[in-house]
Amino acid sequence: MNDFINSVENPVERFLRTDRMPHIWCPGCGIGTTVNCFARALIESKIDLQSLALVSGIGCTGRVAGYVKLDSFHTTHGRAIPFATGLKLANPKLNVVVYSGDGDLSAIGGNHLIHAARRNIDLKVICVNNLIYAMTGGQTAPTTPGHAITSTAPYGSYEPAFNLPHLVEAAGAVYVARWTTFHVRQLARSIAEVFQKKGFGFIEVISPCPTLYQRRNRLGDGLDTMKYYKEKSKVRHGAPTNEVGLTMTGEIIVGKFVDRDRPDYQTLMRTQLSESLGERFVESAEMVCS
Amino acid sequence: MATIALPVEEKKKYEQEALITGAEAIAVACKLANVDVVTAYPIRPYDTVMQYISQLKADGEMDCEYIVAEGEHSQFEIVKHASVCGARVFCGSSGVGWMYAMEALTVTPALRVPMVAMVGNRALDDPGAFGVEHNDALAVRDLGWLLNWVDSAQEALDTALIAYRVAEDPRMFVPCAISCDGAFLTHSQALVNIPTQEQVKQFLPPYKRGDLLLHPDNVISVAPQVNEDWVMEVRRQNYEVTERACGVIREVYADFERIFGRKYGNPFFEEYMTEDAEVVLLGMGTLSTPTRVAIRKMREQGKKVGFVRLRWFRPFAGVELAKCLERFKAIGVIDRDFSFGSPNLSGVVATEVRSAMYTGAATRPPVLGFICGLGGREVLVQDVEHMTDITFQAAKGKAQPLTQWIGLRG
Ligand SMILES: Cc1ncc(C[n+]2csc(CCOP(=O)(O)OP(=O)(O)O)c2C)c(N)n1
Ligand code: SF4
Ligand SMILES: [Mg+2]
Repeated sequence: MNDFINSVENPVERFLRTDRMPHIWCPGCGIGTTVNCFARALIESKIDLQSLALVSGIGCTGRVAGYVKLDSFHTTHGRAIPFATGLKLANPKLNVVVYSGDGDLSAIGGNHLIHAARRNIDLKVICVNNLIYAMTGGQTAPTTPGHAITSTAPYGSYEPAFNLPHLVEAAGAVYVARWTTFHVRQLARSIAEVFQKKGFGFIEVISPCPTLYQRRNRLGDGLDTMKYYKEKSKVRHGAPTNEVGLTMTGEIIVGKFVDRDRPDYQTLMRTQLSESLGERFVESAEMVCS
Repeated sequence: MATIALPVEEKKKYEQEALITGAEAIAVACKLANVDVVTAYPIRPYDTVMQYISQLKADGEMDCEYIVAEGEHSQFEIVKHASVCGARVFCGSSGVGWMYAMEALTVTPALRVPMVAMVGNRALDDPGAFGVEHNDALAVRDLGWLLNWVDSAQEALDTALIAYRVAEDPRMFVPCAISCDGAFLTHSQALVNIPTQEQVKQFLPPYKRGDLLLHPDNVISVAPQVNEDWVMEVRRQNYEVTERACGVIREVYADFERIFGRKYGNPFFEEYMTEDAEVVLLGMGTLSTPTRVAIRKMREQGKKVGFVRLRWFRPFAGVELAKCLERFKAIGVIDRDFSFGSPNLSGVVATEVRSAMYTGAATRPPVLGFICGLGGREVLVQDVEHMTDITFQAAKGKAQPLTQWIGLRG
């Protein structure tokens, strides 16, 4: 029996640096689940791993970069998107994935997020939203829902939170989806799908942090959170993003909200330069990404 | 070490004893100082302070505006401008968080803003590490910030109060950063005497910005573009502040002792077992603990070694320090920092000490530089013994390398 178990490799294992295990994530944390979905999406999309680069910021989610067996970069806090932008500009043929936390992407790195969406630069952003800055101890973040108790709001948060799908749609993203870590199949499919899309894609994954968020708010453990996600999630593809804001215990609207086409940064650049320079505009072959 | 000058009975009337961490001590000082505006952004190990303050505020014990900014840059910008409008402010960070605020940090002394900040010292990235290193706070050493290092929770609390008095003195109006070694001080509990509100009121007058106040009744422009017409004169004003700094600090410590009864002696550096010492070690922050232990041990073996702990790095009390150090046969400076490419490739403190000795000391004892305890690595008793042995060798006239890395893995 043991031999049989040992002989069957977990299909996602080849995407992981198993020598780095055990990982740092707590029991019940959702980040590992998202990595599993990501690996399954890589299998499904048959993407060439040689062309793939994964960039993360800093945080519990940021640690993903260290656990995947891909070209990966653990950058500085908030700077995953500029870093990824550099990769993409230098080598437009790369498939560049940004994998980071809500605080990293929407607080200290928030400006980069909206500008990358505005430019429609061809990046795929996976944002693990656990509604707080987890790694540093669970402080109120721009994503923390009203009333939630955090280490900086012991009697409840009162700042309005970002509705991230709405924010990135308004800024220009061409693909916007949201799932929870309960929706593993949908999430994997969404990640595979965003790889097919040219331009700025954004997938928000609502994920539990039992250690710092659920516990402080008496929302139970990882399993209780799965039950909550299961009961309170409503799939509404194409939902207007201004209607998908989150509350602490209310409904979670999930689904693919935005799937539209708009020329990406590189196409826009090529069009403009061809128009103004005519034949004088020459692009080296390596820089042309079909 | 701070000594309690008041008799125990007398002291009880005034102070309460509490078991708190260094970070908590800073938060308590902010409460006692009645700080008006606090901004925060999480980063270890500083973030414990912001959590304690948020708890104090939520519990109604502290009345202040408190905002978790969206990054350190805005965190420091918000308090800077609150201070221009006359608010007493508190801020802080660690490691790369402090560095991310650098633009605001450079402007703060030039704008004559008496911000008080806590730096929970942490190694800079890369490689990522949470442990203590002093390069974060030292990055602003040339910009007009007052910088000090404390080594106990009590000293953290007291120095925070002192920092407000010094920074808000109209002869100063410059920011002050209190460095607390990450983990070793920020997260270690100790018994602390917490002064009463009345004592603090007596010690710390309200912050009055005078004609520099940004207020509709006092129309001024803050930070106008001046170009080459006035930049040098503006810089000169900050220079003159640093000329006055030592005098003001001395006055404030004397007042502190009078009101709180706690004696710090020389504000700028503290001497330990130096009276009959042949050689001394010198360093900043919590490495003082293993160093004192090692010194007591070595004293039992008859080795005449002492320790000088530098408290204030800016201003650097160079003349006074040189006069103190000239009486020893050799000096070993322990740097919990690095300064790649510096003279002799030494750490920051060793280089400063040599410079001070060159102009201020009557003798020329060897000043050895040791780099030790980076990235949160412990400075071990055996490391201190090793550094002492090397320093004794130098005292005997045996030439030693001017910079050595101690406690490096093979
Ligand atoms: C410039 C800077 N400021 C602060 C930090 C400290 N820090 C590390 S992770 C983190 C927050 C992470 O939150 P999030 O991005 O939501 O990721 P999570 O840990 O929740 O997955 C912060 C503030 C840092 N590393 N660099
Ligand atoms: S602190 Fe929260 S987000 Fe971080 S690993 Fe633990 S459960 Fe996950
Ligand atoms: Mg988070």
